Amino acid sequence: MTVTATRAPVEPARTEHAATRANPLRFVILGALLALLLIVIAPLLIIAINAVKSPADYAGGGPLSLPTHLYWDGIVDFWNRVNFGQKLWNSFITSFVVAVLGVLLSILNAYALGIGKVRGRLWFLVFFLVANLLPQEVLVYPLYFLSKEVQLYDSLISIVIIFTVIQAAFGTYLLTSVYQEFPTELLDAADVDGAGKVRTLWSVVVPVSRPTLGVLFTFFFIWTWNEFFLPLVFLVSNDNQTVPVALGVLQGDRLMDATMTSASGLIGILPALIFFLVFQRTLTRGITAGAIK
Amino acid sequence: MISFRAGRSAGALLLATSLALTACGGSGDSSSEEGADAKTLTLWHYEGPTSAMGIAWNKAIEEFKTTHPGVEVKFEEKGFEQIQQNAQMILNSDSAPDIMEYNKGNATAGLLSKQGLLTDLTEEAGKRGWDKALNTGLQTTTKYDDDGIMGSGKTYGIPNYAEYVEVYYNKDLFKKYNLQVPTTLDEFTTVMDTFVRNKVTPLAVGGAEYPAQQILYSLALSKADRAWVDDYQLYKNKVDFKGPQLSYGAETFKQWVDKGYIAKNSAGIKAEDMGVSFSQGKFPIMISGSWWYGRFVNEIKNFEWGTFLFPGNKLHPGSSGNLWVVPEKSKAKALAYDFIDITMKPEIQALLGNNGGVPVAADAAQITDPKNKELIENFNKLSAEDGLAFYPDWPAPGYYDVLVAGVQGLINGSKTPGQVLDEIAKPYDENLADLGK
Repeated sequence: MTVTATRAPVEPARTEHAATRANPLRFVILGALLALLLIVIAPLLIIAINAVKSPADYAGGGPLSLPTHLYWDGIVDFWNRVNFGQKLWNSFITSFVVAVLGVLLSILNAYALGIGKVRGRLWFLVFFLVANLLPQEVLVYPLYFLSKEVQLYDSLISIVIIFTVIQAAFGTYLLTSVYQEFPTELLDAADVDGAGKVRTLWSVVVPVSRPTLGVLFTFFFIWTWNEFFLPLVFLVSNDNQTVPVALGVLQGDRLMDATMTSASGLIGILPALIFFLVFQRTLTRGITAGAIK
Repeated sequence: MISFRAGRSAGALLLATSLALTACGGSGDSSSEEGADAKTLTLWHYEGPTSAMGIAWNKAIEEFKTTHPGVEVKFEEKGFEQIQQNAQMILNSDSAPDIMEYNKGNATAGLLSKQGLLTDLTEEAGKRGWDKALNTGLQTTTKYDDDGIMGSGKTYGIPNYAEYVEVYYNKDLFKKYNLQVPTTLDEFTTVMDTFVRNKVTPLAVGGAEYPAQQILYSLALSKADRAWVDDYQLYKNKVDFKGPQLSYGAETFKQWVDKGYIAKNSAGIKAEDMGVSFSQGKFPIMISGSWWYGRFVNEIKNFEWGTFLFPGNKLHPGSSGNLWVVPEKSKAKALAYDFIDITMKPEIQALLGNNGGVPVAADAAQITDPKNKELIENFNKLSAEDGLAFYPDWPAPGYYDVLVAGVQGLINGSKTPGQVLDEIAKPYDENLADLGK
């Protein structure tokens, strides 16, 4: 999987021509797309509906009925109950640091493997790929003992280190294949101008591949934000917990509180959604990156 | 989602085995003065703040603060999932709390006690009279032997509340069809026949989770005695799955499906949806645990409802609630004992009872709320007959899923009662063989 997708050619003349013709097929496709859209956002809608429904309303009308009145207590109670502001901060700071460090580590690795062409780079890549395929359950036990040894169990730093490595493994794999296609003309030009290896990296390679790096950053941030299993294991104290772990507080032994769970789901997903919307332009630009202009 | 879960439990299993090898730090020091001078008490539980336990325990924390002025109580509300997944790792680290709520049973409290992660409370329970406050049925889940099997051995946890399976019914619908509360199984069948004749499916059942197997077990218990329960749950003697008890349970359950008491589509219904459908008034009867009680009191506004014990039965699915355990690594054991002692006091127990919980040591006269009186009177009746028969999925690890699948087969009609009994007998017997019994 490389990011070197070719840009779809746009031919304005023909589009205009097609628009003037009333094609019934276009409406069918539009209808089908609308139906698909509805299916995609239906779960979100149901969460939103139940988030503002009172428990008695839910018990009387079930999950699909519309709320009789807007009930914000679920959201407010949940926020106060788990001290959500602090969880947001914990999640934000870990995701942000992981995204920055992960991208940095990926750049350094990929520069050596993709452009530096160090010996045995294929095996490095295979290693990183395998590391990516390992389920986290396998990692838990060794990581638990290591972190206990270095006094980092129940600390956000352990999560930052673990996820920087996990994300960078994927980043290295992806970025290396991008850098292998890096235009040699640019590298040669830098060489002729007398730039050293470090100078070439920061002044030529990084600026040219910035869109791809933007994509990596965004993905690393959202992936780390959504991580549940390892934070659940490593962040024992409530003061250290991240958003997904905090949402788990509502999961009881036999009972669930459907309305409050929806409320928590809604405020849990919002930050990641906003982040995605803000950075979505980076994403679309990143997909077309690598194509030599 | 399913494979994800399977992966997680595989990971947990891996952990369990490897931790068992490393956790051998049980010092066995059970002096009640240990940690009496600690300045903080870290306390974890996973009950919601508005549940009966949450309310009662918050009050207990207040009380503890007044009796121990110099001690800071660090309370953290945990998720059930987090404790369930990580208890072994947490208790084996310095982040262990001083006292926490934990699940009763062989696979949970039993396993931790076997690994030496829990403090032996036997001496303390005797000294402070906790053992006398709990009846024999409740004590079963507090004691674990050297193999971590419940029923005998040392006391490792103290429950504050109990739970049992009963029958919830919609009084308005009973009145509409002119029906009385049944006192025998035959009368119960007649009631359900009346509903079926009027095109109403009588039972709300969640076949995808615990409720259906508890109905089958209740039916089996109608033919069983205490000795059979001991055989099935505590491995006293070998259980014949084709014997009169379980055969009757499976056959009758099948009849209930055939007669239309249980809807065919309930095989895919979750417990939560079952509860909601009952609270919506879609079904007149629901057979499930006392854990719904407090929620129904607060949430059912559209009709009158009540409860009765499974008609004719002397034994009912049920047990003690979750336990207070003191981790071996607790730095304030003496304070933890003091806290448990407070939770067993009559006023805390009464508070639990008045908020929809089933207190283990309450004075019935102190329960003022009429709705909750019914819940506790039923429990006292059951308790007086030594009627707690535990849950059908307890005897073997992973047995819950086996029973869900078996009962789903009965609801779908894809398996005969005989096939189902064979299917559920196999893992049970395999577990016995593993235990060397």
